Amino acid sequence: MAEFVEADNAEAIFTRIEHKSSKIESLLKQYKPVEALKTALEGSPPVTKDERCKSANWIVVHRAIMAIKDIDSLFSALDLEYYDVLMKYLYRGLSTGDRPTCDQCLKIHEKLTERAGLGCILRCLADKVNTV
Amino acid sequence: MANSLRLYLTCIRNTLEAALCLQNFPCQEVERHNKPEVELKTSPELLLNPVLICRNEAEKCLIETSINSLRISLKVKQADELENILTKKFLRFLSMRAEAFQVLRRKPVQGYDISFLITNYHCEDMQKQKLIEFIVQFMEDIDKEISELKLSVNTRGRLVATEFLKQFI
Repeated sequence: MAEFVEADNAEAIFTRIEHKSSKIESLLKQYKPVEALKTALEGSPPVTKDERCKSANWIVVHRAIMAIKDIDSLFSALDLEYYDVLMKYLYRGLSTGDRPTCDQCLKIHEKLTERAGLGCILRCLADKVNTV
Repeated sequence: MANSLRLYLTCIRNTLEAALCLQNFPCQEVERHNKPEVELKTSPELLLNPVLICRNEAEKCLIETSINSLRISLKVKQADELENILTKKFLRFLSMRAEAFQVLRRKPVQGYDISFLITNYHCEDMQKQKLIEFIVQFMEDIDKEISELKLSVNTRGRLVATEFLKQFI
């Protein structure tokens, strides 16, 4: 029964991610990277054990993160509830090893830690249920 | 370049500050035993998510935490074959004297150059801030040391070759 629900969920999640992706592309064309990131982080992380959903979501968030140029304006616009999720995605970005991604993630990580504190990092380490 | 190093070290420092919250936890399986859980990985409820922080393709840092211990594994930048050999030899030299460092692990984790193991006993004896300072300082100094070693090897090689070839002039 759980299997069936998962499969159904995966399809729904993939469609949601595709919608998000197209919305984000249009926002990026309008030079609104902060809104794009907010849209990307909404509904994240997807409530599923399926790795493909998580990867698909990560690709979308990655696109939004790389488009950010001004980090200070990002934090004035982003709500507190998104800090934890953003931190998880930053760590995922740091684990990729790809130079531009890591540079960008390191920059945002420093500012995010100043803003959100060490608790944000610890919640990211401790949360084994909602992994990204 | 220097900025990316600074950001990398800041990220590692912040992550360590958050992750270094260790407490004593006797072994659940065997009575009267006290083992660093991060090494054994027998009970998943005692382990936190491992975190991999990469600066670029060559340098990375893996931080694994558990309830009573924390393991940091570093991969140092190695640009060419000579640096490869120097790094291996130098870090092997340090690892063999791990007793003196207390927090050093005798063998690095697979895929990395050097590893540290910090347990709750270390946190009780030593200050947490100083431990973190030590690790970050170590990372800075390693790069300098390897560059210095490489420079001295090249200088000496050049001198030796010049002297040797003088006899043929």
